[in-house]
Amino acid sequence: MALTDASPLETEVAKLIVQTLNLKIDPAQIQPEQPLFGEGLGLDSIDALELSLAISQSYGYQIRSDDPEIVATFASLRSLCKSIEKNRTK
Amino acid sequence: MSTASLLGPYHPDGTLAWTNGSPITCHRFLSEVATLVDRLPEKSTVINLAEDRYRFFVGLAAALVRGQTTLLPPGRAPKVLTQIVEDYDDSYCLIDGQAGVAGLPSVHILSAYGSSEEGQHVVPQIPTNHTAVVAFTSGSTGTPRPNPKTWGSLVAVARHTGDRLGLTPTENVTVVATVPHQHMFGLETSLLLPTQFGLPFHTGRPLYPEDVRSTLGSVPPRRILVTTPLHIKACVTERTRLPGIEFILSATAPLPMALAQQAETLFDTKVYEVYGFAEAGSVATRRTVAGDIWQLLDRVSFSKESDHYSLRADYLPEPVPFPDHISLKGSQAFVLHGRNADLVNIAGHRGSLGDLNQKLNEIEGVRDGVFLFPEKDEDPVTRLMAFVVAPGKSADQILGDLRTVIDPVFLPRPLYLVPNLPRNETGKLTRESLLELARQLRCEDHRDI
Repeated sequence: MALTDASPLETEVAKLIVQTLNLKIDPAQIQPEQPLFGEGLGLDSIDALELSLAISQSYGYQIRSDDPEIVATFASLRSLCKSIEKNRTK
Repeated sequence: MSTASLLGPYHPDGTLAWTNGSPITCHRFLSEVATLVDRLPEKSTVINLAEDRYRFFVGLAAALVRGQTTLLPPGRAPKVLTQIVEDYDDSYCLIDGQAGVAGLPSVHILSAYGSSEEGQHVVPQIPTNHTAVVAFTSGSTGTPRPNPKTWGSLVAVARHTGDRLGLTPTENVTVVATVPHQHMFGLETSLLLPTQFGLPFHTGRPLYPEDVRSTLGSVPPRRILVTTPLHIKACVTERTRLPGIEFILSATAPLPMALAQQAETLFDTKVYEVYGFAEAGSVATRRTVAGDIWQLLDRVSFSKESDHYSLRADYLPEPVPFPDHISLKGSQAFVLHGRNADLVNIAGHRGSLGDLNQKLNEIEGVRDGVFLFPEKDEDPVTRLMAFVVAPGKSADQILGDLRTVIDPVFLPRPLYLVPNLPRNETGKLTRESLLELARQLRCEDHRDI
């Protein structure tokens, strides 16, 4: 199913996720509300660390575990993009 | 009966652990252990799932005092846990908030809190021949292979490693670790190493560079960071302003020399690596920037077998075959030349390709399948790939089935569905043919996107 309601940032971050983590999927297949970890895309903590680096390099947003919104941030592509939008410095 | 102390030389009011910026004294620890000891069921083995490093240690200590053995499963995959429980049916679970293991009674370690801090507690002495933990590795037969560790061997490895690194009980350095304590390296370096030297450890497990910075900053100066090449790369890439560190101790995967050099310069510290494996524990160290020669720990020695080397130590019940190809440099030093072809190491999780292939081929609907450890690239973590012949099944379905039987770190990335595998006329799959197949499929991917 193709992605129809993704924002430009969501499209961009979906590409970043696929490239960074070497996933064999079309970035457009990542549903904005789909869980990224566990049963969704099946990412783990190593992915979280690698993804956090890519996000920091691309957007200047440094993810940290003691951020009270951390769980919400990584819940889905959409929530991740909301956090990037709010915290980005580049 | 020979015994070794549960703890190194702490003052009763000395700090054993740091949690959220507050110290936990040795006295409070012993009090909590004593309370938990009385609450443990009459069982022989325990799966300690506690996420919090301090609470895990309270559970481990209480089990030791009761003469019980702590099982360290290789992961949390439900079928892996079920299999271990089948083999150790007189087990229970220690938890600190998460769900336990289906079918096992659980004891909450938190419930020991609030115990009386009155009275004196004597540091327990544990028989050195008691099997303190069993670490599991995935064997080539498809079942988790147990590696029992006596209390004497855990203490010996911790003391020899600390001696090598120049630790002394009088120095007040705190160990901060990013590695899990249920892993052999993590258990040895983040818990036994500090506690056998009477040093404090931090109870958390920072992940992101900012976490590492703030956790190090939350404990008093003089710190040791126990971590992995992946975390080091993250902190170096981010140029994280880490507070002063005496030294960094890295393990679980080879650390590139250039990265070690950057870390030493950027964080004004020294970077050491530990080499070890589940069957023997930590056995050698090196300062990465000094070169590729590893020094065996004191009282560990090589013995030459017919076609390989084994390691001997007075705390190992028998010689342990060395898992990697090496050449000796004198009697106590060696250079690593690469892995035994069946063994893979992904982010510190060692697995057997034979075992993974067997599990893949046991999945309903899979006609043929094979895992491949791809050619190394720049990343500190290289993931496995898999090629699967499974008409009528999707890659997602197969991944879903695999997730229940293998540690998620071994999940193939990517998993390619193919019409057949490039078996030669004798039915064998060569690594070269699989690498070629991977290259072809990668090219097709790039055309698609």
